[in-house]
Amino acid sequence: MSTTLLVTITILLTVILYLISRKIFLYTKNPIFNPVLLSTTVIIIILHYTGITFEQYKPGKDIMTFLLGPATVALALPLYLNRGVLRQALFPILLGICLGALSTLTVAVLLAKISGLDSLIIASIAPKSITAPIAIEISRLTGGDPAIAVAFVVFTGTFGSIVGASVLSFCKITNPIARGLALGVTSHGQGTATILQEGALQGAMAGVAMAVAAIFISFIAPFYIPWLVNL
Amino acid sequence: MQNLLKTMGQICLLWLIYYVSTWTVDFFHLPLPGSVLGMLLLFLLLSGGIIKEQWLSLGANPLLKHLSFFFIPIAVGLMEWGELFTQKGHLLFLPLVLSAIVALLTTGVVVQLLTKSLEKRGGAN
Repeated sequence: MSTTLLVTITILLTVILYLISRKIFLYTKNPIFNPVLLSTTVIIIILHYTGITFEQYKPGKDIMTFLLGPATVALALPLYLNRGVLRQALFPILLGICLGALSTLTVAVLLAKISGLDSLIIASIAPKSITAPIAIEISRLTGGDPAIAVAFVVFTGTFGSIVGASVLSFCKITNPIARGLALGVTSHGQGTATILQEGALQGAMAGVAMAVAAIFISFIAPFYIPWLVNL
Repeated sequence: MQNLLKTMGQICLLWLIYYVSTWTVDFFHLPLPGSVLGMLLLFLLLSGGIIKEQWLSLGANPLLKHLSFFFIPIAVGLMEWGELFTQKGHLLFLPLVLSAIVALLTTGVVVQLLTKSLEKRGGAN
């Protein structure tokens, strides 16, 4: 099969599966059917059984991710539009986001170390609560692998979206600002979409938390993650 | 047709900010993802009124709406790590689950306690 044809087929396959899984997700609104988890699983199964290697899938991947950089830059727009919510309680909000982001990264890395996982996995698990486009970049800067990092990001996003609201209610965290921020810090975009169903304030808070946590962790990651991994 | 051109032009503007940021990060060897610098730069340009929200929303909205599409081809790279997950998958469960609960509770408790104390102080005045 010619390369051009193969690239076209892999791109079409990815786009079609994304559109189908997005429809399923929007219809069921169940975090377990999130488009990334669903499409990636099906694509890997199809590639496996048709004998297409990742090496052959890669040229298509490079074309498809061409706009990821500008899309990440565009995250500034929702942050700018929601900047008003920060004024409600600037100090508690920023402190809550930074402490949450720092503690989850530290606990994940230390537990992974205790479990005896190797440093590639540990560096890839560190940014698992950060929104995927930035987690990918952080994993590249700190000796992790982008694909493994995305897997951990999606697992955390899905898990937090499923249990997050119940865990918070169980622990008597009822303040809508706190609930929104907690979901944004833990489960980034997926958490934001989920807690938005509780209310617009929660959704806006989660979006702000996701962006601020990503910026904060980006600044400390290149120093803090290698230090923690080699502790 | 006009909207399509506008959308493409606005995506080019976003791409330009991204390009300038990654170049800056490379040139000065900054330990920061270029996309994060780009995001901060755009936030500052919007806050300073140098770039208006209307100049970007048409291009930014479809990108943000379908942001998760871009992670799929990257996550497909996992097929090269299949063995790792079948052998060590069970070891990953505890760190991922416990750290997620730590994040939920740290942020939730800190924000709830601090905003409550702020409200009390506000009420006393």
